[in-house]
Amino acid sequence: MTTHLGVMILFAACVSVVFGTLMRETPRDELRLATRIFVGLVGGAYVVGWIMYLAF
Amino acid sequence: MSRTSRTMTRVEKNTPAAVAPRFSPVLVGVLAWWVPGAGHFLQGHFRKAVTFFVVLVAMFAIGLAFGGRLFPFQFADPLVFLIALAEWAIALPRVVAGLGGWGAGNVVAVTYEYGNTFLIVSGLLNALVLLDAVDRATGRKPR
Repeated sequence: MTTHLGVMILFAACVSVVFGTLMRETPRDELRLATRIFVGLVGGAYVVGWIMYLAF
Repeated sequence: MSRTSRTMTRVEKNTPAAVAPRFSPVLVGVLAWWVPGAGHFLQGHFRKAVTFFVVLVAMFAIGLAFGGRLFPFQFADPLVFLIALAEWAIALPRVVAGLGGWGAGNVVAVTYEYGNTFLIVSGLLNALVLLDAVDRATGRKPR
């Protein structure tokens, strides 16, 4: 779990659960928002990582 | 009764916390600062409270396990001061870790910066949770 990817996934999971719970009222909506934030964080990091790898 | 107040009444009746007694926003804020999720727990949002407590305390513990440091207040270094402020935004875990002698910070550990990030973000997220609990207590947000 101490790989960059593992730590990033752990961090994204924690942050997305808190924001999902904070910003929505029903469990279904909370889960949906948390999933979107998690995918956004991890996917965004992948995209930015590849851009930096290819460009620099 | 105006349309707005009818809507508010309907919203309050439909929320699970509508039957919970009202508490002072100051009390809610102080408790939410000390124990993550306590402000929501007081107001009847038990599921949210448990989620906040488990996740935020876990983040703080992960930060310590990764070798993160609990920074002291140093007015000479603004960034260190801000980090200390963020870590103190989640009071009870910060106090327990301080008393337990954890959080010395292992600078040579690969995960040192990750640990600091987890510690800081857990405090900042608890500040957001605190504000949400106070908003519910003052009526700015439906209970």
